[in-house]
Amino acid sequence: MSLEQFKNRNVGTQEYRMLDLEPTPETGWGRFKRVVRRSVKLELFTGLKVTFREMIKALFMGEMHTTKYPFEKLPIAPRYRAIHEMKRLLESGHYRCIGCGLCEKICISDCIRMDTRYDENQRKEVSEYTINFGRCIFCGYCAEVCPELAIVHGGRYENASEQRASYALFEDMLTPLDQLAQQKEYPGFGAVSPDADEKIKKTPLAY
Amino acid sequence: MDGYIIGTIIKAVLVLAIISALAGFGTYIERKVLAFMQRRLGPMHVGPYGLLQILADGIKLFTKEDFIPSGANRLIFMIAPAITAMTAFIALAAVPLLPEFTLFGVTVRPIIADINVGILFVLGMMAAGLYGPLLAGLAQNNKWGLLGAARTAVQFLSYEVVTGLSILAPIMIVGSLSLIDFNNYQAGGIGEWLIWKQPLAFVLFLIAGFAETNRTPFDLLEHEAEVVSGYATEYSGMRWGMFFIGEYANMITIGFLASLIFLGGFNPWGFIPGGLAIILKVSFFFFLMLWVRASWPHIRPDQLMWLCWKVLMPLAVINVTLTGLVMMF
Amino acid sequence: MSKNEITITIDGVECRTTEGEYILNAARANGIFIPAICYLTRCSPTLACRICLVEADGKRVYSCNAKAKEGMEIVTQTEEILEERRAIMEVYDVNHPLQCGVCDQHGECELQNYTLELGVDSQHYAIADTLRETKNWSTVLHYDAGLCIVCERCVTVCKDMIGDSALKTGPRGGGPLDKGYKETMPKDAYAMWNKLQKSIIVPSNGTEHTNCSDCGECTAVCPVGALTERDFVYKANPWELKEIPATCAHCSSGCHLYYETRFSSIDNPEEMIFRVKNEWNFQSLCGAGRFGYDYENRNVSKDEVAFAQAVAALQKAETIRFSSMISNEEALMLQRLKEEKGIRLVNPEVRPFQRFLTAYAKSSGRSLYGSDYREIMEESDFVVSIGAALRNDNPNARYAFNNVQKMNKGAGLYFHPVGDTLVPTFGKSVECITHKPGQEETALYLVLDLFADKEALPDYLREYLEGFHETRKKTVKEKVMKEVTEIVKDEETGEEKEVKKKVPEMVEKEVEYDHNLLVEALGADPVAFAESFEKMMKKKESFALILGEDLYGHPHWENLAKLAALAEKHCGMKLAMIPPKSNALGVALICDLDEEAEGYTVGYNQPGDFRLSALGDGDLDMPAMNQQEGTMTTMNKRVVPTNAALEYGGYTLNDLMNALGLGKRLTVDWTMELPVDRGFQAEAFDDLKDGFLNDGTEIRGYALTPIRGRASTAKAKPASDEAVLEGTIAYRCNPQRQFNDFTDKAHQIFEAFALYASPEKAEELGEKVEVIFEEGSLTLDVVADERMNGEIVAVPDFKASADVYRLFGESRYANVTLKKV
Repeated sequence: MSLEQFKNRNVGTQEYRMLDLEPTPETGWGRFKRVVRRSVKLELFTGLKVTFREMIKALFMGEMHTTKYPFEKLPIAPRYRAIHEMKRLLESGHYRCIGCGLCEKICISDCIRMDTRYDENQRKEVSEYTINFGRCIFCGYCAEVCPELAIVHGGRYENASEQRASYALFEDMLTPLDQLAQQKEYPGFGAVSPDADEKIKKTPLAY
Repeated sequence: MDGYIIGTIIKAVLVLAIISALAGFGTYIERKVLAFMQRRLGPMHVGPYGLLQILADGIKLFTKEDFIPSGANRLIFMIAPAITAMTAFIALAAVPLLPEFTLFGVTVRPIIADINVGILFVLGMMAAGLYGPLLAGLAQNNKWGLLGAARTAVQFLSYEVVTGLSILAPIMIVGSLSLIDFNNYQAGGIGEWLIWKQPLAFVLFLIAGFAETNRTPFDLLEHEAEVVSGYATEYSGMRWGMFFIGEYANMITIGFLASLIFLGGFNPWGFIPGGLAIILKVSFFFFLMLWVRASWPHIRPDQLMWLCWKVLMPLAVINVTLTGLVMMF
Repeated sequence: MSKNEITITIDGVECRTTEGEYILNAARANGIFIPAICYLTRCSPTLACRICLVEADGKRVYSCNAKAKEGMEIVTQTEEILEERRAIMEVYDVNHPLQCGVCDQHGECELQNYTLELGVDSQHYAIADTLRETKNWSTVLHYDAGLCIVCERCVTVCKDMIGDSALKTGPRGGGPLDKGYKETMPKDAYAMWNKLQKSIIVPSNGTEHTNCSDCGECTAVCPVGALTERDFVYKANPWELKEIPATCAHCSSGCHLYYETRFSSIDNPEEMIFRVKNEWNFQSLCGAGRFGYDYENRNVSKDEVAFAQAVAALQKAETIRFSSMISNEEALMLQRLKEEKGIRLVNPEVRPFQRFLTAYAKSSGRSLYGSDYREIMEESDFVVSIGAALRNDNPNARYAFNNVQKMNKGAGLYFHPVGDTLVPTFGKSVECITHKPGQEETALYLVLDLFADKEALPDYLREYLEGFHETRKKTVKEKVMKEVTEIVKDEETGEEKEVKKKVPEMVEKEVEYDHNLLVEALGADPVAFAESFEKMMKKKESFALILGEDLYGHPHWENLAKLAALAEKHCGMKLAMIPPKSNALGVALICDLDEEAEGYTVGYNQPGDFRLSALGDGDLDMPAMNQQEGTMTTMNKRVVPTNAALEYGGYTLNDLMNALGLGKRLTVDWTMELPVDRGFQAEAFDDLKDGFLNDGTEIRGYALTPIRGRASTAKAKPASDEAVLEGTIAYRCNPQRQFNDFTDKAHQIFEAFALYASPEKAEELGEKVEVIFEEGSLTLDVVADERMNGEIVAVPDFKASADVYRLFGESRYANVTLKKV
């Protein structure tokens, strides 16, 4: 399935029809008549026909549903919420996180913690940052609340591990410096809306 | 005489080996067919197209712990699966599998024992097979097993009646209980097939056959949504595997019986030689069972009994009576 | 001050208040919200923010400085007022950095709150920003000028409450406002902005660093994140912290505060106190309370061996020596030990105070002094302090003294042998009399002489006092207006004219005056004193007397107590004493203390043969005061609850009592048993309330009930000079922010255990001296205290191990020899 198809799965507009079901017969004679009628109409074979048709489709018309998962992967939606990514500033390469603690506050499974300190440049430095993925429920609140677009959800969803305590540290989630050029600003979970500019009123500046 | 004994032993071993292998292969086919009908791929990873899955399953079954629950009747618990498997294979002894052929100058009759009560023997053996699930269910000290056993007794006994009565009419027509006689009776091509003379009997036999082999829609014995795994709840490893093999052997037997009795057996079919013809026919029946499993839901026990005693049994009796009347006049 | 009840109407709600109360306070007390940024209860209105604008009887007034009058109709919101307020908030938001995310005030910021409250969703004003630099004003104060909104709350609280006046507004260097704004903007907002654009907060001494007592009250009152504790900067967010109401245990003020705790860090999930907060509208903290919070006894587990040893030690103990930093409950347990086992209780800190209090009770017929510091702060306009080093002994007594000067247009008399340069700055009408140590009797007699109703005094006393008055003559210069005739030439017309003019002229004149020998004895000039005292007494109605620790250990303590009782009775003065250490009043009331230690001694936070210690260095660990619940007795005569801020894993005194068969289930089960016959109430700990009401009423715990008896009529002895010390004198006095080993343990309190002296004296003494007492000697570094004056040096007593009490004996003064080392 291509990404376009995937995104167009419109589950909202299927046409449901009410089946015209006859009332259940109450007398023995009625039931007998129903059995005879159904037998004569060979209703049972409709079922056989359906399964056979599906088999033909699958085998000869290339409509097999199976994705051979570890070898093949379905494309995921841009707003998919998997393992977090910590972004860097594109110009300076400095991490964007300012240590405001909003993600820590909003986290409903209480799995984010950070240590901050006053650094030499009179800035708030995030000295340590962890997400306990054993507890994270990937609700996306942290990405949504982040004022700096520093924490977003990435697409890495395979996080099986031999260790129960899968803590992630800041450095693990941070975009590696050498891959800064590939860091993308996609309209993903936690990113700004496309019409953000129109929504914001500018503050007058006298200089 | 010695040659006869040796030949029979060779034939018995061959049948045992081939049918066992086929039963295993049957599981693979079943999984594949079901998968295709649901537009899936089925087993794919072990070997090309997942062919070696059977081997993997076999290894798994053989190496699994043989587990006997406490409180179970150990002896009966242990022999019950053997009963199923044995009766299934013994039943095949009186079934002519292929037409006669000559190998290295020896004329081989691919039937282990051509007894003159072939059909009776086959049906009897299949009926005896009900002791397997019945004893297994009773012996394992598990309520699901007990329910499974109860269902076994009810289902198998009831449908034995229908099987017998449905075949009675063809037997009356052919006038023999030997399956070879049945085959020879239909030697004149498609037009001679008994299905045309006895369509109702064929349908009844087929339905009863599904029930006898415990296939959907009559798989009440071990229906997992209701009784966990029925009589097989406490079984694991190869003991469970023997139930499985028995079931698949029974499916093949039913396939052979239906082909031999109603569909012209191993007579050549147009340009198709007899041997291939019967294999095709049996394959069709096997496929039909899988097809039905993929398509239909299973029914309730009360519906099962209703169908058997109030519909199929009267129809079978009517069929026998009509056949008798027709033959009389 | 008048206390007439009046009724005013605020937004249609009838409110009872007192005449002369500010409208804002009246509204707050009645639960009506009026926004205000710069106003601080208990301080004078600053009028910086102008946001508390209301309409009173149709006139626009600022509710923080408009006084309520009978029948006043007040509207807090009209369209115009809202517009004005919104404009003011917009101005406050101009150039305020949008860095809420990292700001330490984020979540409890008044700028945020009011911006939202007043619905500021767009900005109409702009001006070029000025570079404002972040500075560290002292070891504890951090000022981020960029965040400052110049509400001047810090300046106000430092001046009106703390008395340091260490801050002022300075020039910001911002450009002028766009002229166009004057027409378009609401008037008040423009005026406020004009001022805001020009000012910034700077230390008032003109340097980069504040010279103050580092109390940190300015950080508490700062509505934004501009002023913070250095240690707390960017460490944690306010909302993560758990607020635990407690009582500060460092001095006898027993201030209400909140310990704010959180897990230490990612690596260490253990709870830790991050900072201390207070109800700054109703209670000011000192530096020890605010920064001396991390004195808990960490990583303690139940050491069974030590516990068994402790039980054995208590079994054979003949004396328990303890400090007064214990709760009432613990004091009661010790008293129970005394009752049951006959163990002597020794507490050198409290013993003189207890004795003094008993003597006072005998003379006055009341077991407790009549007033407290809240009352003094609210009602007095003349405070006299005798025998207390106000700056060091007790911050709240000092705040009260200062606040009276600032808020009640008060006057103050400060009697103390150690010269202090800060106290005179509290107000214009503060007179400091630096007498010799030991002259406290004379000082009290002077108070009687100055304030007592002479008619009501016992005859012997009146006669005695009259003996100190002499009529003498003095020469005064008087201004006389003299008429002079001048000839002035009109320049235009050339005419000469005679003009009569009045010119002042100084004339010397001899007058008779009342020469007060008591004043002279105390080392002051009676003439000058009489003059200034006359000024001080103008319009004064309510007098207060603060008595300090010097009196308790004075050789004539009994006579002093008698005099104090007389002063209270005959001068109509509110009398308040300063209990010497943390829970000294509680210990004095609960325990029957013995004079001397004997035999095997168990020390509780004190030296001894077996040491129970909450400092982590004893033979058995005990919980520190921030790890236990219980009650404390404050110098305001209240029994107040305190809660455990941090976990404690070891044994408590109650466990030891249990092992001895005298214990209760919980320590707080003892609260019920506090002695009712000594003024306590039989209230369960869990029934005690905590905190303040909106109008500032303290509802913490309960007030002690004074026990009344018959006042003895024994005569007071005349003042004697026996106790007067001459020569080199050491004074037992702690530096500010240090009270005991626990404050010393806190990482943000740096004051050293050293000899403190005035800068001149310190220079003379050099770097290090040996202080030789009769009983022994101490070698101490010399630290210059800029606010000390005179020859007397101060030796701290906050280290129990140094056993300074033994060196000094009972008196706070001792003759010593200082030897340079």
